[in-house]
Amino acid sequence: MAAAIETKSLTKTYKLRNGKVNVVDKLDLYVEEGEIFGFLGPNGAGKTTTIKMLLGIIYPTSGEAKVLGKEAGDINTHRIISYLPEKPYYYEYMTGMEILKFYGSLFGINDPAKFQSLLERVNLAGDAGKPISAYSKGMQQRIGLAQSLLNDPRLLFLDEPTGGLDPIAHIEIRDLILQFREEGKTVFISSHALSDVERICDRVAIINKGVIARQGKLDELLRGGRIEVIADQVPADFPAKLKDLRVTSSYNNARLILDIDEEEDVNGVLDSLRSAKAHIVSVIPRRKKLEDLFLETVKNVSEKRTTTMSGAAQ
Amino acid sequence: MKQIWSIAATTLGEAIRRRVLLVILLVGVVFIAIAPGLGVLSARSETTVLRSMLLGIIQMTSAVIAVVLTVYMIPNEIERRTIYTILSKPVQRWQFLLGKYFGAVLSLAVMMALMTGVLCIAYWIQQGYNAQGLQDLLKAPVMFFVQMCLLAAIGLFFSTFVSPLVNFFLSGGLYLLGSTFSLLFQDMLANPNAPGVAKMIATVVNVIVPNFAYYNIQNPIINPQVVIQDEFQNYVKIMAYGVAYIGALLVAGILIFDRREV
Repeated sequence: MAAAIETKSLTKTYKLRNGKVNVVDKLDLYVEEGEIFGFLGPNGAGKTTTIKMLLGIIYPTSGEAKVLGKEAGDINTHRIISYLPEKPYYYEYMTGMEILKFYGSLFGINDPAKFQSLLERVNLAGDAGKPISAYSKGMQQRIGLAQSLLNDPRLLFLDEPTGGLDPIAHIEIRDLILQFREEGKTVFISSHALSDVERICDRVAIINKGVIARQGKLDELLRGGRIEVIADQVPADFPAKLKDLRVTSSYNNARLILDIDEEEDVNGVLDSLRSAKAHIVSVIPRRKKLEDLFLETVKNVSEKRTTTMSGAAQ
Repeated sequence: MKQIWSIAATTLGEAIRRRVLLVILLVGVVFIAIAPGLGVLSARSETTVLRSMLLGIIQMTSAVIAVVLTVYMIPNEIERRTIYTILSKPVQRWQFLLGKYFGAVLSLAVMMALMTGVLCIAYWIQQGYNAQGLQDLLKAPVMFFVQMCLLAAIGLFFSTFVSPLVNFFLSGGLYLLGSTFSLLFQDMLANPNAPGVAKMIATVVNVIVPNFAYYNIQNPIINPQVVIQDEFQNYVKIMAYGVAYIGALLVAGILIFDRREV
């Protein structure tokens, strides 16, 4: 697969009164064409700065960034990409249709039928004549998505596309993003909505304090979660026999529930249960949750930084 | 070119809906409309006072509109994030800046045309139909328009790198300096007895600050006894002077804006 986005040691440094800060620090990112890529991180992690560098809105201090094979900011690449900023604002006096006409004109597109079909696609056909000032947050987000589809882009940058939306608008936007994948588009999403990312993204990168902490396929990153074994007719002293294994046990309605941390311990536990003549009800591999992975990653990076800083101070 | 036009048209659409600009415009129009009634308070000839007042109101109102319109131009686009969706499209920064400038010029043209229309009606009602008088009177708003285009270029230039408040004082200050003191500095340069330091300062100011006073052609209009030598040639010359300054300001603005982090 060709790279839709590729960065090498991409760095953005800002000067402060008392020194410098690397908002993005030696970022190596690889996004394949046709995938939905989740770009995660806490507030101030450097997500929006990275997107702005990829769009050529701000300039990197050092490093390289390529978008669809060309230098980031290349004006010809802008014809085949699009961007939906976080909490977008549009000229409020314009109607939904006028917004599409305006942004269409920036591409040299003047196709009323196309504008109409885009409005229908984002469920705004009935509100096309209303001024943007009368639009709800969800409607503004949807008109934002419609303007981002004007040029039938190969690559979409979506910054917090579901931020602040009610559940219905949230689901609508999520479904639209899934349709983009079916159309072969690459989607680069920066989001805090981890459940959405887990549901729709193929690969993710977690950035914290400007540094990529994890990057990879979601399935691989979430693999290696605990395994849950449920059994009944288990002798009362059985849990005590497992004290050497990384297993936690609990009871629910006389059924023993065992949470096994490591896959390699599963066979041993099952053998022990069989020897004790217990009845094994189920063995369920539980995938890690993205939320857990995210928290674990962010916490690790913060701890490492604190250790490094205190080491440097000594 | 399409991009520049689209951005200019959008800027015009926004400007004619901005309440603060509409209030300033309304105040100007109301003053122009009631000015003929105030002319009788003067001991000087009614026509002279009336012309002077009407043109003064148009000039002052247009200057305030030009400054208020342009000082917010770039900072507002950044603050509201509209600039991100525009610059992520195939739009170069210079196209964006030129679009904003031409939008400001169009807005000034519309607003000044409205005030000039009211001026003509007020003058007609007061003085009766006088084609030659009206024609002479209209020369001033045309020159004021060039003056305001120059002021708008200054406002837009500063808006690429300073805050609106600072820009308001910088643009307004340069306008006052260029309108009132330029002739003084020119006199100083022509005076052989002026101290060297003063002449040096006068030279610097004369080059950096555009001479807005060139466009104040009210005197011959108000007092027909005052005659401009080679009138047409003079108008062409000061228009070219304005266009050259505007060009220089836009190029400087583009160079700054091109490297600016937005």
